[in-house]
Amino acid sequence: MQLLAENLTRSFGNRRIVGPLDISVGPGRVLAVAGQNGSGKTTLVRTLAGLLRPSTGHVWLVRDGVRTAPRDASWAIGWVAPDLSLYGELTAAENLLFFVRLHGRPALPGWADERIAAVGLDPKRIAAHPIRALSTGQRQRVKLAFATLHEPPVLFLDEPSSNLDDAGRAVVEAVVRDQRARGLCVVASNDPGDLALADERITL
Amino acid sequence: MRPAERPGLFVASKAVFLKDLTSEWRTRVSTNALLLFAFAVLVLVGYAVGPASLSPEDRPTVHSVLLWIVIFFSAMTGLARVFVKEEDAGTAAALRLSAPPPAVLLGKLLANLTLLFVVTAFVVPLFLAMMSFRIEGPTLFVLLLVLGNVGLASACTFTAAIVAKASAKGTMFAVLAVPLLLPPLIGAVMGTRVAATEADLAQGLDFVKLLVAYDGVVTTAAFLLFDAVWRE
Repeated sequence: MQLLAENLTRSFGNRRIVGPLDISVGPGRVLAVAGQNGSGKTTLVRTLAGLLRPSTGHVWLVRDGVRTAPRDASWAIGWVAPDLSLYGELTAAENLLFFVRLHGRPALPGWADERIAAVGLDPKRIAAHPIRALSTGQRQRVKLAFATLHEPPVLFLDEPSSNLDDAGRAVVEAVVRDQRARGLCVVASNDPGDLALADERITL
Repeated sequence: MRPAERPGLFVASKAVFLKDLTSEWRTRVSTNALLLFAFAVLVLVGYAVGPASLSPEDRPTVHSVLLWIVIFFSAMTGLARVFVKEEDAGTAAALRLSAPPPAVLLGKLLANLTLLFVVTAFVVPLFLAMMSFRIEGPTLFVLLLVLGNVGLASACTFTAAIVAKASAKGTMFAVLAVPLLLPPLIGAVMGTRVAATEADLAQGLDFVKLLVAYDGVVTTAAFLLFDAVWRE
């Protein structure tokens, strides 16, 4: 699968936040989006993910020559961002099971625990706690599990290492490494470690 | 591109419905608001009007109006939260990426309907007992309650989706929902008055038909328009 943006801009009112940009990310590739605070990284990622409509231009997910708008292929997209929240009154496992059901994927017994362990958390230790009782770093790890639970071919990581310790950063590296084998990844960050994971970079 | 992996509408809407019920059970924000509001209004009505302060011929009309006022304002108090809390808590984007829009609407509608039925089950027996409100046609009365609740839940759920991203959510919700809810309320009030005085179901059939038509139109319109409302 390929991510394609053509003459992409995004404005709020008369204020242009992003673009015009042409972007092409192929399978197995990782694109970094860098830029100062307020430069439009999050807006760009949300537009590429189909969560915001472009003001001009187009975003396409291309597979076998067929172009699909991201909002019509949300099954193909994983997304992590600082403004993403999971359901605070549910546990991590309940959140993951809820979202995997929405994606129409089977969840065998123990599946959620495996996903939680894969992001470096102890499933038994956090089993009784709702998400809102977890630390910010633990929540960030659960968000990474959420973004990859349906094995999406396109993964957007907006500030993926925020609030993470060194072990958490290693989880981000593993997520990006796995994503290369599955599809493509876009990482928006100011963190040198995050940016170093990418093959190419655009700076806003 | 990989449509076979998408869950069926009912599987996804059931997941949304159960998630909303679990969330509500653990926080009880909407339930408490609705029940406390309903109880407060019931007590006020009981003291202000009471069972004996009205002439027998006025009772069916006044009691019908008061009963639906309690249900209506309870709905206005709690049903908007179903979408507003998703936007406020930052969970809406995750839901947008994960669930087909019709499944979100159906799941939320069922959750709101459940909440409204709980309130109705709490309010109606208390109201009937406190006001000595005698119902001659119980079948018609139950039909009106069910259909009226479906109409209230459908209109409130869709309106909640529209106002969820607005800054003045409460005002917007009232401005949009009140005109939308007047037709079924008028039908429900008039039908309830008939149910209070007539044992024959046929006497109130016009109001049942009105509510069935309203529920059908509003629910269909909600499903047709929801995709644009939810994803913009």
